[in-house]
Amino acid sequence: MKITVDRDRCEGYGLCEERAPRLVHLDDDGELVVDVDEIPAERVAEAQDAARVCPVAALRIGA
Amino acid sequence: MPAAPRPHRAAHPRRRGAARAYSRPALSKGILTGADDASTIRLAPLPADVAQRTGVAAVSLDHGRREVLLDDGERVGYDGLVLATGARAATLTDIGSADPGAVETVLRDLDDARALAGRLVTRPRVLVVGGGVLGTEVASACVAAGCEVTVVGRDAPLLPQLGAHLADVVVAAARRHGVRFAHHEGGVRLRGAGPATTVDLADGRRFEADLVITAIGCRPNVEWLAGSGLLPARHRGGLAVDDRCRLVPGVVAAGDVAAFPGPTGHRRSPLWTSAIEQAGTAAAALLRADAAPLVPRPYFWTEQFGLALKACGALPVAGPPAVVDGDPDVGGALLRWPETTAVSINQRVPIARLRALALAG
Ligand SMILES: Cc1cc2nc3c(=O)[nH]c(=O)nc-3n(C[C@H](O)[C@H](O)[C@H](O)COP(=O)(O)OP(=O)(O)OC[C@H]3O[C@@H](n4cnc5c(N)ncnc54)[C@H](O)[C@@H]3O)c2cc1C
Ligand code: SF4
Repeated sequence: MKITVDRDRCEGYGLCEERAPRLVHLDDDGELVVDVDEIPAERVAEAQDAARVCPVAALRIGA
Repeated sequence: MPAAPRPHRAAHPRRRGAARAYSRPALSKGILTGADDASTIRLAPLPADVAQRTGVAAVSLDHGRREVLLDDGERVGYDGLVLATGARAATLTDIGSADPGAVETVLRDLDDARALAGRLVTRPRVLVVGGGVLGTEVASACVAAGCEVTVVGRDAPLLPQLGAHLADVVVAAARRHGVRFAHHEGGVRLRGAGPATTVDLADGRRFEADLVITAIGCRPNVEWLAGSGLLPARHRGGLAVDDRCRLVPGVVAAGDVAAFPGPTGHRRSPLWTSAIEQAGTAAAALLRADAAPLVPRPYFWTEQFGLALKACGALPVAGPPAVVDGDPDVGGALLRWPETTAVSINQRVPIARLRALALAG
């Protein structure tokens, strides 16, 4: 499972980072960085949670 | 120790529509402008261990028997209950400011947004009643669609929500886009029966348009709790919870329906991030006796008239800000009101930085 960010949609709200700080973070320019290539099995729920709080639905969790 | 609740099978009659959950903030933004459609604003599904029932409404609550009655006649038992029925658009009819038979256009759900987007194609002259954040966002989408737009209301536009400085920034941008504003403390009255086209302002001015959109705030969906004993006589302000989002033992409330305690008493904070914060606290309080109280960290954003504004900390803000970076009149800016609020306008700033700026002295 991977996290993909729709760059055109992401507004840099950062709510996802608050949910999953080990998986994603906003860099100094406010761009979202995905910190894992493959989501560790024990963090998949956390990743889903991060995707669900994004107010513009910019994150996708999938293969 | 309280009995361990069954969290996953607890009654959670959340979504009325049969459609998948979607991002409501996008309705007044991407859905109206056409940048989004139903598929792009869909939220990630709930985990597989949450049993979901859609297309049904909770119609009453028997907390003595710990049962929620659904409109299809089913009774759903629970050990713990989360009340998260949100809010609906307030109307001028609700507050006694409309002639009998007035039909109002509001924006709360996806169907409303689609219908409105459909209307805008014909470029009607639009009157938005309510100069709050939703009203001005709608006005922005309407001008983007090529409509002539006037915003009328009781308060100066955005002043109660944002404070004078930020309201000026946004209203100036709106005026540059051709939006006209009018307000009077006496409020407005919607005239005539049928689809609304005429609005009288308390100072005697009459406004006419092809389409009137009411955006005067929202009301908590609590009426279904009327017979439950949990609903206070005065419930216009929502369900008054404690600092752990608890209503009574075994029942918590979160989101637009909940009124959270603060320095000025219990207040609803009908915003996306408030709902998310409260949901976390409410769930923890339902499951654990020692759950921590919620210390709200207000976060607000809006997009309109080419401005993307994000605010950490309290709003409205009084007085002029310190300009940390940029220039509010030319492009982006980073503003702060020491120890209260930090705001970015058309600048991408990590929220952690904005939050730190808000707290700094
Ligand atoms: C057009 C628009 C734009 C917005 N923009 C922003 C923004 O830019 N920033 C921001 O922070 N916030 C914004 N908001 C506010 C934000 O969307 C809300 O604060 C948030 O949706 C609240 O979530 P909630 O789950 O508490 O309530 P809701 O989203 O209202 O969800 C409540 C759910 O309960 C269901 N329900 C109600 N009664 C019953 C019943 N009896 N039985 C079963 N189900 C029931 C409803 O159908 C609904 O699905 C906006 C709101 C709107 C309408
Ligand atoms: S919450 Fe959404 S918009 Fe925000 S940074 Fe994360 S992906 Fe981007």
